[in-house]
Amino acid sequence: MAHKMKDVAKKFLLLGQCVPTVKQNATKIRVKRLELDENLLMYFNKDEFYYCHDPNKMCKTGDIVLIKMLPHKLTKLITHEVQEVVYPFGDVTDPVTGKKVAKARYREDIDREAELYGKLQSAFDYDKAPARGWQEGKKDFTAKPTYTGFHVFDEKDPYAI
Amino acid sequence: MLRRFTSLVIQNRGIKQQVDIKWVRPDYVPAYKPERSGDLEGLPKDTVKFTALDFSLSDEIKDAPEAVKKIFSVAHLGRKEYRTLVQKDLIDRVRRHKYDENTSETRIARITGHIRCLQETMELHPKNVNTKKLVQELIDRRKKLLKFLRQYDYKKFEWLLEKLNIEYKGHPETYHKLTRKESLRKLTEMHCDDIRNKKLSDYRNLLESQQGPFLQEKLNTLKFIRSEQIELQLPITVNEQDIAKVEQQLQEWKLRDKQKQQAKQKKKNILLD
Repeated sequence: MAHKMKDVAKKFLLLGQCVPTVKQNATKIRVKRLELDENLLMYFNKDEFYYCHDPNKMCKTGDIVLIKMLPHKLTKLITHEVQEVVYPFGDVTDPVTGKKVAKARYREDIDREAELYGKLQSAFDYDKAPARGWQEGKKDFTAKPTYTGFHVFDEKDPYAI
Repeated sequence: MLRRFTSLVIQNRGIKQQVDIKWVRPDYVPAYKPERSGDLEGLPKDTVKFTALDFSLSDEIKDAPEAVKKIFSVAHLGRKEYRTLVQKDLIDRVRRHKYDENTSETRIARITGHIRCLQETMELHPKNVNTKKLVQELIDRRKKLLKFLRQYDYKKFEWLLEKLNIEYKGHPETYHKLTRKESLRKLTEMHCDDIRNKKLSDYRNLLESQQGPFLQEKLNTLKFIRSEQIELQLPITVNEQDIAKVEQQLQEWKLRDKQKQQAKQKKKNILLD
């Protein structure tokens, strides 16, 4: 079973999610699969992690991406490469109408509602908002995994909790 | 005698260290503290200045004497009035419209105001268990709301962090109690990495320092071979391009070497200072 899976993984594209990693020149992708427990005859989730080559830094943490196996290993760790970003994280587009969505509503509907009530200066403006990543390393610490702080270093690491 | 000696040996075995690393255990910081909860901003300090929310609308208070203003100020009326004022200030920063009370950003702003007030209470009364519990619950709820907001609207999430001055850190893989063994293991690993990297960089420097003389020798040899071949009217195997290529490599190496020497000199000067 597992052997077959490996052959399939070589040929086809895989769909996975980008997860935080400390590696600087690679992205870590989690691919969710189902594995059959033969005793219970039930399928359970099984995560597989791939380190992917991504020279242009296409994907950020949380993005859903397509990855493909490289013809030869780049390093001992990096075996795949990122083909394309399918769904950017936290920036959902409705596939039917092509409009932007926040949770269960269209963003333009939310704006319209605010305008009807009398939109204030303090309201968030989607058009003026900068692209994702302008708070990375300042107030938003999600690019790398956090860990329990284990030593008092000279320089304090914000990712240590 | 022998038994005592062996017990000593066994006791010492636990503390034996191969590598000389000094481990400093990080101090315990309670979870309600601003550095743990991620609040980068405190409360406005001068409470006498602020009139309570209900009275601030009245015209009489505007030209009232100082003593009256003091009585109707937040400092005199109590913490609850102060809290509503703080919460209103934070909500006003992110409000969509006048009647906006229950969207994700206003909820997070309200909770933030509450947390900051309770943090001050905790500073005054560190043994107040009920408050401690309440702050913890509020911090967790805010983190959960921020997590959801991040999932469905990343741009708004970042904007909100900036507006309310909050830090957001993701959950670690496991929440566990810190142990000496784990810390020492990680420190030893870092120490080994340092040694390995230092050796590698030293070796790289050595090889790179040998590149220059080698390229010079290669250039001379190529030129010699070419001149000999022309002189003896043999088929020419070394063309001008090869020589130019080697010359360019040599120039590049010289530039890099110069930069390296300068950096070294700078480091030396800093150390001497």
